[in-house]
Parts: sequence; structure tokens; C-alpha cells
Amino acid sequence: MPVSVPVPAVVLQADDGTETTASDPAVDLGPLSDVPGLEALVRLFQAQLVQASVVLGVGLVLGVFVGRLSKRLLQAASVPSLVEGTAFERSAQSLGLSTVTIVAGMASWFVYAVTVLATLNIVGVLSTQQLFQSFVGFVPQLFIAGLVVVVGFVVADKAELLVSERLRGVKLPEVTVVPKLVKYSVLYVVLLIALGQIGVQTLALVALLSVYTLGIVVLSAVALRDFLASGAAGLYLLMRQPYGIGDHVEIGDRDGIVQGMDVFVTRVENGTEEYIVPNSEVLEHGVVRLRDE
Amino acid sequence: MADVLELLDDIVAGADAVLLFSPSGSYHERFDAADSVGVIVVAPDNDVGAEQFVELPLEFSDVSKRIRFGVEGAMQRELVNEGDVLACVSRVFDDGLDTVSRVRSDAFPRSGVYELFADSRAPPDVIRNVLELAIELGKKGQKGKPVGALFVVGDAGKVMNKSRPLSYNPFEKSHVHVGDPIVNVMLKEFSRLDGAFVISDAGKIVSAYRYLEPSAEGVDIPKGLGARHMAGGAITRDTNATAVVLSESDGLVRAFKNGELALEIDPEDY
Repeated sequence: MPVSVPVPAVVLQADDGTETTASDPAVDLGPLSDVPGLEALVRLFQAQLVQASVVLGVGLVLGVFVGRLSKRLLQAASVPSLVEGTAFERSAQSLGLSTVTIVAGMASWFVYAVTVLATLNIVGVLSTQQLFQSFVGFVPQLFIAGLVVVVGFVVADKAELLVSERLRGVKLPEVTVVPKLVKYSVLYVVLLIALGQIGVQTLALVALLSVYTLGIVVLSAVALRDFLASGAAGLYLLMRQPYGIGDHVEIGDRDGIVQGMDVFVTRVENGTEEYIVPNSEVLEHGVVRLRDE
Repeated sequence: MADVLELLDDIVAGADAVLLFSPSGSYHERFDAADSVGVIVVAPDNDVGAEQFVELPLEFSDVSKRIRFGVEGAMQRELVNEGDVLACVSRVFDDGLDTVSRVRSDAFPRSGVYELFADSRAPPDVIRNVLELAIELGKKGQKGKPVGALFVVGDAGKVMNKSRPLSYNPFEKSHVHVGDPIVNVMLKEFSRLDGAFVISDAGKIVSAYRYLEPSAEGVDIPKGLGARHMAGGAITRDTNATAVVLSESDGLVRAFKNGELALEIDPEDY
């Protein structure tokens, strides 16, 4: 209340200055002096109501417009075909919705929420400026968190599909775990981002994530060490081709004719044996090119 | 109606096995459920998950060649025995399986066409790619003129040792594989070069411009074929390679293996 009182006083002077001064000298008693203030308050309230309804109307129209626009934009960006077949889209379909309508709806509701808050502020129900500020600050965060969750679910499903398609050639039952692992890793990161967005303490979860990531990095570094070494050597061998197919070479104690080479191995063959030599060994031992004469 | 069915009865009577050529999944399921005789699927891919399967690397448009390949493959993989009677269900016209034919498994002399794909050093799809390349080249020629070409596939190290360069190798330090989309155009241009193309087991084009120097002793190829075929046939006897030759004079594509003619196709049929 102490904030709202001085404001009408200013408007009062600007608006009805002449009328109030005309009636003021005639009635100089204490209780009567309240009447013009009350009247002004009512007027002011009416003015605020008009303002509020205008803001509300514009906001609602804007919300519908933003919803339509984002729907069009998403469709133009061929999002529907992109998210097709993902679990999120399927569950949305079962509710009679789709990913596009959900995201567009969220955009609309974001605008509606801001509109309603602004209206309430104008009318004076949420008069405390600070509360309004924090509310307005919170709404976009909530919106972004929701968006992150939607996008995250779609990305997680998509990643799962992609990985499982890649692994289809591998005929190993255990391999079905990998796509699931990928999916839940993505979802975990998404959850972290969303929670961080709305200001929940996620330090413990982040620590867990870093342990998990570190584990993956260390494991793959150990597992792929030989591949990395061979791959690096193979890149050099393929680029420079110090020996080619058909050359008679000796690598370590293996000698024969080079039959083929790729990034990881070199195939060397003599009359009876076919050696598959890792490229790292080729660099390690060096190559002797034998001149057949 | 009964009489018409009897006609079919005569064809399939006493068949030891049924060869299905590229059946659809439901068709195969229906047949497999019957289970009275052995069912062998002959198709480019084992999509239907058949137990007995022969890979068909080329879609032979000629039905007799297709059946011949299937039968030879089944024989080679010992899915059928010599002298077995086979009912072959295949496709002549556009849609679905429409033809049933009866054949004895030893009806034709062994041509080695199945070994050409299955038992070569290079994987079947590399050989198929080279064959398709030769067919394509034979169809279009170079700027309308017929061209000849010689591709030696597999065992590239040995082939390189038994040949010498006629000029600088345009594929030196390159990483071009048959089956790459650009290769058709590239090889069409290079086909005017003399000499052979050498292709490794993995399908990498190792060299062009190679003059092959095998010993031609005891190479048995049909008379009337020229030096290109002789060179191609001879190198396959000396090495474990497969040679695919496009004839400049009659436009046919021939494949040699172990010094013998294994396959002859007319590019116009594809």
C-alpha cells in the first residue's frame, strides 16, 4: 500500500486538478477530504482495469500468434519427420498431440503466463515489485527447462535409434544394452541442464556425471590404445605409402608380398603364410623393402 | 481346373528339393511351413532368414542362367546331391514368383560360376562390383565407341609381381575403390589406356596400365578370343586372381578363374 498511494496523487493532480481545487475551499473538514481521494482511486482503478484488459487482450492474441508461428517454423524445419519414430513422439501421439504441438503450445503458454503476470501486476494484486520481478525472471527459466526436456527426450530417442541401427550388423545379444546406455546418458545430461535451469542444486549429480564420463574415457583409452596407435601409424602409411601393394617387404621376421593395407593392419603374404600385421608394429620394427633380383 | 493343377503336379513330382529364387518373406514362410521337401532359398540377401541359402550375387535376367547358378551353388554347398531332382520357383515377368521349372542337379556341366563368387580371394561384392562396372562399360562404351577392358581382381600383390607398368600409374597413392560412385566415370575415361587394371582383395584399384606377364602355357580358353582374353585367362592360372574381361569386338563380359572361362554375359541383357 505505501507504494501505491503516491502514484494516484500524481495522476490526480494531472487529471482533475481544476475540479478538486474548486471544491476544496468550500469543504474544509477532515472526513470529507477523503472523498476526492477515494473517487480518484476508483477512477484510477478503472484506468488500471482498462490498461490491464488491453494488456491481457494483446497478450492472448500474441500468445496464439506465437504458438502458430512456432508451429509453422518447426514444420518448415521438417521437425515432424526428424522426430518420427522416437518414443517421445509416440507417447505424444497416444495423447493426441505431437512434438511440434507440444513445443508450440509451450511457447504460447509462456506468453500467456507473462501476460497474466503483467495483468495482475497492473491491477495491483501482485503489487510487490520484487515478487513480480522474481516471477517474471522465473518464467523464462521454466520455459527453457521445459524446452530442454522435450528436446532432450527427442534427442535421446534419436540417439538410441541411430546407435541401434549402427549395431544391427553385430549379431550379439548383449549389444542391445549399448543403445539404452546412450539413451539414458543423454537423458541424464538433459535432466541436469533442466534442473540447473530452474535453480535446483545439482552438484552431487554433476559429480556423478563426471565420474561416469571419466570412467568411460579411461576405459576406452585402455581398450582402444592399440587401435589408436595402429590408426595413427596407418594414417601415415596410407598418406605417404612408403610401400605399396605388390612390394616384397620384411616386417620384423615376417617377409612376404604386400597384399593390402588399411588404417589398422597391413596384410603381408608369402607362399604359405598370410600375416596380418598391426600398423603400429610396422612403424615400430620398420620395413625392409626387398628388391627381387 | 483339376487338370491344370495336374500339369503342375507332373513338374514337381518326386522333387528332392525346392529352390526359391528371391522369395518374399511371407511366401517363404508359407513354403517353409509345408516342410515336405527341403527348401533352398537363392537370393541376393538372406532377408527371409532361410536355413539353406545360396547367395545370388548378380540378378541374372536370363532365367536359365539364374537357375544354373542356383543349382551350381546348391551343389557346391552340398545342399543337394548329384542326380537330385529340383523344382525351381522363379520369376520371369515383373511381379513375384511366376514360373516353376524342373531340373536335375547334374543337368549341366560344371561351369565354375558359383566358385567364381564364393571361392575367390576377393569377397563376392567386390567381384560383383567389378562385373557391374564391366557391364556398364560394355553397354555405353566410351563416347559411343565400343571399348575393351581387363580387370584383374584379388591377389593383387602377386599380380603386381607378375606384371610391369606400361607407363606411370594414375592410381598411385590414391584410395579409390570399385563401388565408389565416382569410379564408373573415372574408369570410363581410363579405359582408353592400354593394359590391365589391378584391383586388390579389398576392392582398391591398385594400378592401371599394367602389362601382364604370366606364362600362357596350358591355358584353355575358347579359340577366337584375342590377346586380352589370353592375358586375363593366363594370369588367373598363375595367381589366385579373378579376371573380368570386356571384349572390344563382341562386347561380351567374360570372367576367368583358374585359367578357365567361368562366366559369359551380354551387357545388353542387363
